[in-house]
Amino acid sequence: MASNFWTSSHYKQLLDQEEVDVVHPLDREKGINLEDFKLIKMHMANYIGKLAQNVKVRQRVVATAVTYMRRVYTKKSMTEYDPRVVAPTCLYLASKAEESTVQARVLVYYTRKLYSDEKYRYEIKDILEMEMKILEALNYYLVVFHPYRSLSQLLQDAGMNDTQICWGLVNDTYKMDLILIHPPHLIALACIYVASVLKDKENTAWFEELRVDMNVVSLQS
Amino acid sequence: MALAAFGQLNADDIPSWGSRSVDCFEKLEQIGEGTYGQVYMAREIKTGEIVALKKIRMDNEKEGFPITAIREIKILKKLDHENIIKLKEIVTSQGPEVDEQGKPDSKYNGNIYMVFEYMDHDLTGLADRPGLRFTIPQIKCYMKQLLTGLHYCHVNQVLHRDIKGSNLLIDNEGTLKLADFGLARSFSGDHNANLTNRVITLWYRPPELLLGATKYGPAVDMWSVGCIFAELLHGKPILPGKNEPEQLNKIFELCGSPNEINWPGVSKIPWYNKFKPARQMNKHLREVFRNFDRHALDLLEKMLILDPSQRISAKDALDAEYFWTDPLPCDPKSLPKYESSHEFQTKKKRQQQRQNEEIAKRQKLQHPQQHARLPPIQQTGQAHPQHWTGLNHPVSNYQPPASAGPSHHHYGKPRGPPGGPNRYPPSGNPSGGYYPDRGGQGGGYTSGSYPPQGRAPPYSGSSVPASGPRGAVSGYGVAPANYSQGGQYAGSGAGRGPNPMGGNRSQQYGWQQ
Repeated sequence: MASNFWTSSHYKQLLDQEEVDVVHPLDREKGINLEDFKLIKMHMANYIGKLAQNVKVRQRVVATAVTYMRRVYTKKSMTEYDPRVVAPTCLYLASKAEESTVQARVLVYYTRKLYSDEKYRYEIKDILEMEMKILEALNYYLVVFHPYRSLSQLLQDAGMNDTQICWGLVNDTYKMDLILIHPPHLIALACIYVASVLKDKENTAWFEELRVDMNVVSLQS
Repeated sequence: MALAAFGQLNADDIPSWGSRSVDCFEKLEQIGEGTYGQVYMAREIKTGEIVALKKIRMDNEKEGFPITAIREIKILKKLDHENIIKLKEIVTSQGPEVDEQGKPDSKYNGNIYMVFEYMDHDLTGLADRPGLRFTIPQIKCYMKQLLTGLHYCHVNQVLHRDIKGSNLLIDNEGTLKLADFGLARSFSGDHNANLTNRVITLWYRPPELLLGATKYGPAVDMWSVGCIFAELLHGKPILPGKNEPEQLNKIFELCGSPNEINWPGVSKIPWYNKFKPARQMNKHLREVFRNFDRHALDLLEKMLILDPSQRISAKDALDAEYFWTDPLPCDPKSLPKYESSHEFQTKKKRQQQRQNEEIAKRQKLQHPQQHARLPPIQQTGQAHPQHWTGLNHPVSNYQPPASAGPSHHHYGKPRGPPGGPNRYPPSGNPSGGYYPDRGGQGGGYTSGSYPPQGRAPPYSGSSVPASGPRGAVSGYGVAPANYSQGGQYAGSGAGRGPNPMGGNRSQQYGWQQ
């Protein structure tokens, strides 16, 4: 998206960690604790990723889909919004929003292929129905900014050639709720930092120059 | 006009998650009709605010929430500019189905409405008003706003892809806003993505799309702007093609035919060889529009350049001499206020009008002496005689001799018949084809009649607008001399009611003189 992140709904909707880590009362009744909640969301992020590999959409679509999913669960319960249908639906919606439409029936087909379990059996109409509920839960804010764009710019600026590891790290950030909490360029920076540490590359000077809040980095690990 | 900061679209008085019900609004009147739903004028019950509700049609959607609607919502939430229609919120209505607990099951079966700020007019509806001729400062004012809004879109990497009169909404403050982003989409700067060429209403479609290009950019919108600009000055659409080949032909007749010299790379465009005219055609733009002033012609020529890469950008157009020479564009607020007019409504009113006239005619038959004063049919039906055939209504019989075209009197309310027009509800289409659709089906809130993706075969014709010539309807081209601004409202008791055409313009209706 070309428009400015700082004026976007994405920026205005950034949350604190504490706001994200709230298990919906309905789910708590069912005995889901915060740890379970995080694990389920991580599992769903993986599920979305797997589905996406099968239907062949860009990583960006996956990132948007995961973001939708995480946003939904800041407001809605897993009891009412079954993760097993929310996951493919988020991917479905994200594929439309990111201009690489995947047909609902294709998603249903691969869901069945990936999971033979009865509990994952959903029909096209379930996805379409869930789509409306998700759109509403998202309040129709569909534009998501991702760290990828800043990442490539920053990598260039830092003079790092081995970009693969950073891209991988950014992809991994979607296993957490970071995208709901931090602006994307900070996530990108954090990933570069982690990558530098892993590769024993001395980047401190570059980071100091940027004067970014290094606290973010601690959240990464 | 107070503008809420972006992102605060609906933050204040609406719960931040989940949407309100359409029941918060009271529908007043339908003001548009498009492929993806009707548009209503409505009043918010709580605040009394008038809004436009655009229904997103959900039935027959195999793929859930239509991607066109997703694009429109995404784009509208991204754009925030005074010359772009503001999406206030999205509301839903419950569908009929309920689940086993008897609770409404989901929104899936319901309807979804986009809530927009209400605008009084669209440019086509306004231009079609009888006896209304835009002044030059007024045209400059509208053009400047159109270009400003479009420049903002293009800077934000959004192509509108359906610029036409009925999608340019105008309020009574004189502000013009771009509307209907149902065909719009984001583009990347390098023009590398393949986009569908089946966009933009035919009359406003640029040659590169007609030649099948799938890589294009903001220049497509600028062609449409050029067509609108010329239309405003000329008084009627300048390129009213009936189908794609004819459209191209009309373009070539006006702007010359393309070749590798005036348009490097044109021969690589998919359908170039198919549509290449047998002989080279010359440009006639300056002769056809020789009555335009010099700066207008200069600007128009830069907009209607065949080669998209040479076509003027919105930004450069705003810098054109035209906008900086006398007469300068006027202040929007200084423009006259008109009663509400949307193309959809004016069309509907014309239908009603014809019915009224029919009744008037029946009454008239008892006063045959009046006929003697009327001009013969041939005099008025000159442009498109085929549209007169098979019609048994008498409009032309009542043609006032002073008027050159068969248009104005449709608005006038005959005094003869008892009761107002609303006593005669519109029927289907009493005289199909006489006022053929201009393709877009109504006001700017509605979506164009094109499939969002070019899945149709190139010449299916299904998505070609039913492009009847509008020449016969053009209001301002043939304005009667006795038009005066005050007269528009003189004696008018009609406001925004369902039938604002109530008898305030009888003075223009010549047959009683």
